[in-house]
Amino acid sequence: MAGVSFREVVKTFGKTRVLHGISLDITDGEFVVLVGPSGCGKSTLLRMLAGLEDITGGTIAIDGRVVNDVDSKDRDIAMVFQSYALYPHMTVRDNMGFSLKLRNEKQALIDQRVATAAKILNLEPYLGRYPRELSGGQRQRVAMGRAIVRDPKVFLFDEPLSNLDAKLRVAMRTEIKALHQRLKTTTVYVTHDQIEAMTMADRIAVMNEGRIEQLGRPLELYDRPANLFVAQFIGSPAMNIFDGVVQSGAVEALGVRWPANGGASDGQRVRYGIRPEHLEPASAGIPAEVVVVEPMGAETEIVAKVGDAPITVMMRGRSNAGPGERIHLAPQAAHAHLFDAASGIRI
Amino acid sequence: MIAPYVLVFLVFVVYPVTYGLWLARHPQSYVTLFDDPVFFRTVVNTIVFLMVAVNVKFALALFLSGFFVHDRAWIRWLSVIFIIPWAVPAIPTIFSIRFMLNPEWGIINSVWFRLTALDGPNWLNDPTLGLTMAMVVHIWKALPFWTLILIAGRLAIPRELYEASSVDGATSWQKFKYVTWPSIRTLYLSSTILSMIWTLGDFNSVYLLTGGGPADLTHVLATLGIRYIRLDQVDQAMATIVVALPFVLPLVYFMMKRLSANE
Amino acid sequence: MNKFLREAKLWLIAIPILLWTLLPIYHIFLFSISSKDSAFSGALWPDHPTLRNFGTVFRQEHFYLHHFWEQIWNSLWIAVAVGVITLFIATCAAFAISRLKVRGGRTVMNAALFTYFIPAAFLAVPMYKAMGTYGLLNSRWSLVLAMVTLASPYAIWVLKQASDKLPWELDEAARIDGATPLQLFRLVYLPLMMPSLVAIGTYALLLAWNEYLYAFLLLSHENTIPLAVGLGHFLASDDSPWELLMATALIYALPPAAIYYAFRRYMVGGLTVGAVKG
Repeated sequence: MAGVSFREVVKTFGKTRVLHGISLDITDGEFVVLVGPSGCGKSTLLRMLAGLEDITGGTIAIDGRVVNDVDSKDRDIAMVFQSYALYPHMTVRDNMGFSLKLRNEKQALIDQRVATAAKILNLEPYLGRYPRELSGGQRQRVAMGRAIVRDPKVFLFDEPLSNLDAKLRVAMRTEIKALHQRLKTTTVYVTHDQIEAMTMADRIAVMNEGRIEQLGRPLELYDRPANLFVAQFIGSPAMNIFDGVVQSGAVEALGVRWPANGGASDGQRVRYGIRPEHLEPASAGIPAEVVVVEPMGAETEIVAKVGDAPITVMMRGRSNAGPGERIHLAPQAAHAHLFDAASGIRI
Repeated sequence: MIAPYVLVFLVFVVYPVTYGLWLARHPQSYVTLFDDPVFFRTVVNTIVFLMVAVNVKFALALFLSGFFVHDRAWIRWLSVIFIIPWAVPAIPTIFSIRFMLNPEWGIINSVWFRLTALDGPNWLNDPTLGLTMAMVVHIWKALPFWTLILIAGRLAIPRELYEASSVDGATSWQKFKYVTWPSIRTLYLSSTILSMIWTLGDFNSVYLLTGGGPADLTHVLATLGIRYIRLDQVDQAMATIVVALPFVLPLVYFMMKRLSANE
Repeated sequence: MNKFLREAKLWLIAIPILLWTLLPIYHIFLFSISSKDSAFSGALWPDHPTLRNFGTVFRQEHFYLHHFWEQIWNSLWIAVAVGVITLFIATCAAFAISRLKVRGGRTVMNAALFTYFIPAAFLAVPMYKAMGTYGLLNSRWSLVLAMVTLASPYAIWVLKQASDKLPWELDEAARIDGATPLQLFRLVYLPLMMPSLVAIGTYALLLAWNEYLYAFLLLSHENTIPLAVGLGHFLASDDSPWELLMATALIYALPPAAIYYAFRRYMVGGLTVGAVKG
């Protein structure tokens, strides 16, 4: 087990620069998720750590050793690919033992390691099967098994759950998390799914256009997004955001006054953000007209118009409001977010 | 790892071709070639062979591919049999056809005589009939392959298109015109071009059936070059090929373009 | 009634196809089990079917058959050599072009395709001349090398197509698992390419076994020629023993047909798709 550290890592493909100097320290045993929209550079960063892409500038170190010029196979890492990349012509047992075999380990040791991993992952009945005879979730587990028999310093996951259906994805999320808690191996996990990031990570690095927008614990990111990008990216349904002007402690926007808590000076142009669950229908407050009601059982999502802007409201329990009905919304001032209109940075 | 092939290519393609072109440098070779009455006849034969054999073959292949895509167990079995001409070597079958066409004791004229009490035609001793029969042999041999290609092309068309057109009230002819043909047109065209190139190089169908005879009247370019070699006139043989190049190279260029466009 | 008509129409197409396809084949068979007299009588079935022709062939009891076993051995030797060498050359080239992305790979691929598209009968003339200068004429190697030259381009093309379809992640996973390029080739690439390799090996083997033109140009000694050329010699005179020729021809045609049908699964998938795309 080991820490990983990125120092001013730069990557260019031809003339395009896809990573603009990434610095990030991952401590021993930590589970870090790199999350961001496609093309933000998260996978490239992971592949550079894996040794599958050259490092244009800066350094990457594993366990204190700079690995820029070290071959993948000598970095002591294991990786789980989005497509699993299981060898189709090998059984589950051979797939899992392949890396040890290449290292000329003794067959007894290989068997023992594979058996242990199979036990952890509930793969024992499938060891003699070929990948094509397995379900998606089982293949996923074999890919993880292949990684853990190595007992590597670092686990790398590249969008490992994207090819699974929604239900299985939730189950595997839990399994990976449990596996990490058991093995405590340093893990770098790439995904575009912010829910995966929120539920699994010790810390999340939100990436956009080759930069880390914010690094922090999941709830820190949720409660105090550093900028508009993170505010919009983290949380589902997404935060309501609109233009406004600060006026005596509140924000004038969409023709009404929205409560806010300080920090901005009067007359400053801002972007006002409020999460759907921090808006509640009330007997008095901001007037809105219901457009769509989506009951989900435990919660109800309401899209309502304030002025011309659609606002999403998430309320606990059920609503008997119907489309066209006029309601009032009560924003919780403590949960309002203000961002500078020009820079998008949190105020 | 690429070196072995590069070596083969240099030694057995680049050097021979360069050397061959160098042999064909004398203008005198071409004068002699153009003066040879066999040459003119050969050019005409080659053009007729290409135009008729290739187009008949593809019309048949298009028709038969429509037949073979019917989903019946017995049609699948028939398609397995249908492949035989392509799967077996050329010599046995061409010799077999050659004997069938023998005017005196060939099976065709025997049956002909039994049915009509008349002597059948002298199939291979007549230049026109001989060339026609060479084309028949060529089609017999090459038809299965191209039918297979067009079957693959037809099977790649999404079923929904046919279902949608049925719902829209299309007749079978309209389905062919608006669904099948637009989908396989490019395949049909590039297959035709490739087949033209290969047909140009079809030595067996003519040589093993008529040997270029009677009186060297059924030669095509592929057999004429070899005839000159047998006469020990290698310069002449090369000149024949050089004359054919302006027709072959554009086709080759077209095919290469097509393949790289697909990558 | 409508359905019946439709089926009848299909059968109406099927019967001519069957006759057209099988007639020349049946004719070979008919001759090979006929005595000389009955073969020349134009009968559709011999009065006294016999296997004597095959005995005559196997015992080499005719002027044209004196080297039968030697020629069949030559055919086999040449076909296997072409299959093995082509596989080796083409697999290496395809791996280098497709997986290792060597510089100039594209150029080599184009050069190969160019060779593939030039009609073989045209290439035969310069090839004949060049084999003469190399002093290889009348050596079985000349035919082997010529056939390797003809078979490799298509082999490389098909193998490259197949190999492009293998997911890159497998190479990457193997690298992370600690495989060297050679181990990647041996333990991952070759096993996965097996179906295409079988198809290509068979293709090259059959191409060589079936070849007539190059064989008769490059080889003329009684004891170096393959069976194809030996069969051609029957045409030297008009009163050749056709029934023996057809018996020999049947023996010659059976192995490739059997191989083709045994590997048809690979051949159809592996070869026709690569042959002409779109």
